[in-house]
Amino acid sequence: MIEVIDLCKVYSMGKVSVDALQGVTLSIKKGEFVGIMGASGSGKSTLLHMIGLLDKPTSGKILIGGEDISTLSDHKKTLFRLKRLGYVFQDYALMPELTVEENVYLTSMVRGTSENEYLSQTKEILTRIGLAERSDALQSELSGGQQQRVSIARAVVNRPEILFADEPCANLDTVSSQNILDLFRKINHELHQTIVMVSHEEWHMEYFDRVIILRDGRVISDGPPVIRDHCIIRSPE
Amino acid sequence: MSLQHLKVSFFLAVRGLLRGSRGSLYLSILIIAMVFTNMIFMSSIIMGAIKNSEQSIIEYQTGNILVGPKENEQYIEDISGLLDKLNRIPGVIRASAHYSLGATLKNEGNRVGGTVIAVKPDDERMVTGTWKKMIEGEYLSDGETGEVIIGIQTSGHKDENDDMGPTLGYVRTGDPVTIEYTNGVTREYRVKGIFETRSYQADMEIFVTWNEMESVLGHPITDSTGVIIRTSPDLPEAQVKQTILRFGVQEEVKTWQDLLEEAFGRAIESFSIINSVTVIVSLVIAIVVLFIVIMIKTLNNRRQIGVLKALGVDKSIIINNYLFQVLLLTAAGTILGICIVEGMVGLLTVFPIVFPDGDVTPYVTPGDLISNTILLFIAAAIAGYIPAWRVASEDIMTAMRS
Repeated sequence: MIEVIDLCKVYSMGKVSVDALQGVTLSIKKGEFVGIMGASGSGKSTLLHMIGLLDKPTSGKILIGGEDISTLSDHKKTLFRLKRLGYVFQDYALMPELTVEENVYLTSMVRGTSENEYLSQTKEILTRIGLAERSDALQSELSGGQQQRVSIARAVVNRPEILFADEPCANLDTVSSQNILDLFRKINHELHQTIVMVSHEEWHMEYFDRVIILRDGRVISDGPPVIRDHCIIRSPE
Repeated sequence: MSLQHLKVSFFLAVRGLLRGSRGSLYLSILIIAMVFTNMIFMSSIIMGAIKNSEQSIIEYQTGNILVGPKENEQYIEDISGLLDKLNRIPGVIRASAHYSLGATLKNEGNRVGGTVIAVKPDDERMVTGTWKKMIEGEYLSDGETGEVIIGIQTSGHKDENDDMGPTLGYVRTGDPVTIEYTNGVTREYRVKGIFETRSYQADMEIFVTWNEMESVLGHPITDSTGVIIRTSPDLPEAQVKQTILRFGVQEEVKTWQDLLEEAFGRAIESFSIINSVTVIVSLVIAIVVLFIVIMIKTLNNRRQIGVLKALGVDKSIIINNYLFQVLLLTAAGTILGICIVEGMVGLLTVFPIVFPDGDVTPYVTPGDLISNTILLFIAAAIAGYIPAWRVASEDIMTAMRS
């Protein structure tokens, strides 16, 4: 589903260059729930942004469904993101002037889905995440956990091929975080949704099928999480 | 750009305006309304003054068409023949002959130089509206002698401060006035009436009857210094002028527009320059204000714009969202502006602005409203597009990190 080949990203800040990614190569299969982990500055968010077509790599290739996305024009990338990818951001990134329902169906409107269809899809997804009662609420009227659930609903309403989540629990307390991770796992199991999530919390590993650990822009580990005495310690290196 | 994209842009724009800051929304609308009012108001006052001046000239001085002596001649000869001819021409309601003679008017030590105009009152009533503007006494009647009617700027006001030039010192109906004509004849008259048209030029005039002037000259008057003509309101003056010329009138024939062009051509040109400058300045203000409003909005929403782009929302949808916002603000501002303008027109119709040439009310045509609305919308579109385009053109991560 996703093939990343020798991916490099160099950020230039004046005379200083920072190698955020240094030859990352990996592949992700359809239906996998993959966690990208690592310390702050390890390059995990940068990698997610590259695979998610939010940023351009300095070199290397990214293939999604066999298509080399690095060769796409900006317009085609926009269409690709709209039709094939979904995103959940750390700070929810909801439109404050839109209600819960409007936030969820916005991208469906852009896709040209009929009003009846996107309204029923939105109702269904909001019911599934337990926010049907709050469909007319604005972002300012929701808790952090509720906002993140709306953000997830918005990301999956169009059934994207890949769902990208960039530290979706970073601003949430433990209980809300567990709820969100449960929701991701439910979506992954029930819809066979491919999910790529960036996290730096070790206890999140429990939810992933596979963990890729980065350090200094390089993959240092890639495999299923290792659980010892009901406690996930880390992925094998 | 599909209809669906425009629909999404409009959807985002309406939500952005209605659920954004109310204070900023109302303030933006008010500013646009004020800019619109500014664009219309000054020009409407200038146009009102011009229209008022035109109306005064037509109604109290020249009629719709003025026939004057041929070039290098002082008088129109065979005036009765000319009047017979003019009054038969289609489109001419009535022609009235004038005979003007320079004179000095005296009353209790006050002296005023002027021109005494002899008229045939029955004809004159059908051409000018001076007879309707008598504030004291009565208008002249055909055949009478020894009586004069005087405009208020010659007779003088009770309060001298209202006088705009030398006067006879508050002459009233029934008072005696001595007139020394330039042909050496001096006559004593009784003031039959005082008129006030509120046009300075018209209110300086002095009228006697045709018979009285014949008595002053000592012979029947067969010549005239000018003929003024009232034309049918259904026909343009220029068309009636052409008809008059086709009927073989050899004298100089001028419509009131020709006269205004000669007398006030430069003034009107200057007024239109002032008007254009006012409109341009207002438009620049509108562009700057709307540019700042949208710039602040887009800068505040940079992260949201980045998120929209990340979600796959096309750049054109984002730009058009702000474009719609600015156009909706402009529509609301224009509607409020039209209400303000119409309110001011209504108020100034009841309480007109006093100008030397009469009371001026703003003159606003639907064409003015439409053209200024179009100009404002073009300005708004430019002012809205540029900042929206700038922010929407940023790359996703730069916008999202802001």
